[in-house]
Amino acid sequence: MISKAGFTRTFQFLGMFRDGLICTISLSALTVLFGFILALILAVMRLSRFQPLRSLGIDRDGHQREEGVLAVLSRFNPLSFLATLYVEVFRATPMLVQLFIIYYIVFAPIKLPAFKLFGFIRFDRFLPGVVALSMNSGAYLCEIIRAGIQSIDGGQTEAARSLGMSQVQNMRFIVLPQAIKNILPAIANEFVTIIKESSVCYTIGVQEIMYAVSSVKGATFSIAEPLIVATCVYFCLTFPTSKIIAYFERKMGAGSNRNAQPRSLAKAMLGSSLTEKNAGTEQESEAK
Amino acid sequence: MGNELIQVRDLKKYYNHGAIKALDGVTVDIDRGDVMVVIGPSGSGKSTFLRSLNLLEEPTGGEIIFDGVDITKKKIRNAEGKWVKLDIDVHRQKMGMVFQHFNLFPHKTILDNMTLAPIQVKHMNKAAAEEMARSLLRRVGLEDRAAAYPIQLSGGQKQRVAIVRALMMEPEVMLFDEPTSALDPEMVGEVLDVMKELARDGMTMVVVTHEMGFAKEVGSRVLFMADGKLLEEGAPEAVFCNPQHPRLQDFLSKVLI
Repeated sequence: MISKAGFTRTFQFLGMFRDGLICTISLSALTVLFGFILALILAVMRLSRFQPLRSLGIDRDGHQREEGVLAVLSRFNPLSFLATLYVEVFRATPMLVQLFIIYYIVFAPIKLPAFKLFGFIRFDRFLPGVVALSMNSGAYLCEIIRAGIQSIDGGQTEAARSLGMSQVQNMRFIVLPQAIKNILPAIANEFVTIIKESSVCYTIGVQEIMYAVSSVKGATFSIAEPLIVATCVYFCLTFPTSKIIAYFERKMGAGSNRNAQPRSLAKAMLGSSLTEKNAGTEQESEAK
Repeated sequence: MGNELIQVRDLKKYYNHGAIKALDGVTVDIDRGDVMVVIGPSGSGKSTFLRSLNLLEEPTGGEIIFDGVDITKKKIRNAEGKWVKLDIDVHRQKMGMVFQHFNLFPHKTILDNMTLAPIQVKHMNKAAAEEMARSLLRRVGLEDRAAAYPIQLSGGQKQRVAIVRALMMEPEVMLFDEPTSALDPEMVGEVLDVMKELARDGMTMVVVTHEMGFAKEVGSRVLFMADGKLLEEGAPEAVFCNPQHPRLQDFLSKVLI
């Protein structure tokens, strides 16, 4: 089945794989960007304390009611409810179904401009693909971010609030920087998943790598060789991605490792005189 | 009014609709310059009491009047008699808090830990905040650790940083929630020394602790709590040498002084 001649025929169409690669990369990059923004918004909604009916729960003395219908109503958070509903629906239905609904139903009445990105990617197919992938990965990333935020010790928030910081400042300066560091491996995993999931977009005619496979199959009547090429292309795409993120993970590790030199000290040591090094280790041993 | 900084009136904190009464009607005045030490067996509501003072725990009932404002209310009448939302962040800035587990921000250097809130909340400029931080670090003997991360510090050093971090906001009162309970015994002294110095400088302090020696030496008043109630209150000599309530007598007989 797999033959040298098959590969020779396939390699004549390498240009199509190159186009597919460009398309897959732009599809995934935009999905990562919009998916992450959507996920942040969803996670903040899920964890928000927005309670528009709160005043119902306050009794005549200005204290919070503890029980009763009014107390329950006063705790109702429509933002959190909507975000949870969104996440549950998108996680509980297949990606392919979501893609078809968005392409054939949501975008059906919308007339998209028919120009071509990079001279070959059809925008009217590409955009629905990006929207569907972003909405799907937004739901998964939201859960990752939410778990990351909740994994930060409550004492951090208490310390920030007791210093007079608002909830927003606490999130921005204390909780999110630590949370993102913790969830980086999970986010990396999701990014790799997006690259792979983007292959379903070939079903609506987005010219990504799998689209190239089916085109080459049509032209050469061989399927195995183009598939093997596509596999290699996907691997070469996802493997470095996870490695790059692992690099950032190490870089963001400041404060989680006793041996890590403080930034200014590290700079001083670039000039690396022996005395400075000794001073550093002395401080270290004094600390413990 | 006079000298009271915080007036606590009939403070209650119930869980499970009143099945658990962590605080059951505590009334006490905290005056400016007081070093109030709260003692009592575990589960007596000491920490809940302290954490209620800056609303880290939301009380079920009662009043906490801080600087003339009842901070347990969600809405208050302002000077013109209008109902306005109470901004708890403003009041928290005036109450420094030190925790049992330090709660330093692990992703920030010691200097950044200290300057973050003054810069972001009080809009202090960076240079002024750093200078203030360095002089405070000098006072607690840690100026050479400014660029280190919290994980590189010992427990005692962390707690000293936590204390000066709270002082950066120039609070009117400092709340200490068992500041030495998570420390190795040989590090307790260095933290207590910093607290003693603070007390000598006239800082108003509320300290929940098991360090009876500290209570005796530094405390201006001692509160004894059990089962969410304030059972005895008085000068340290009276509480330790002449305890009235049987629960207090029992408690003191069990702790080593």
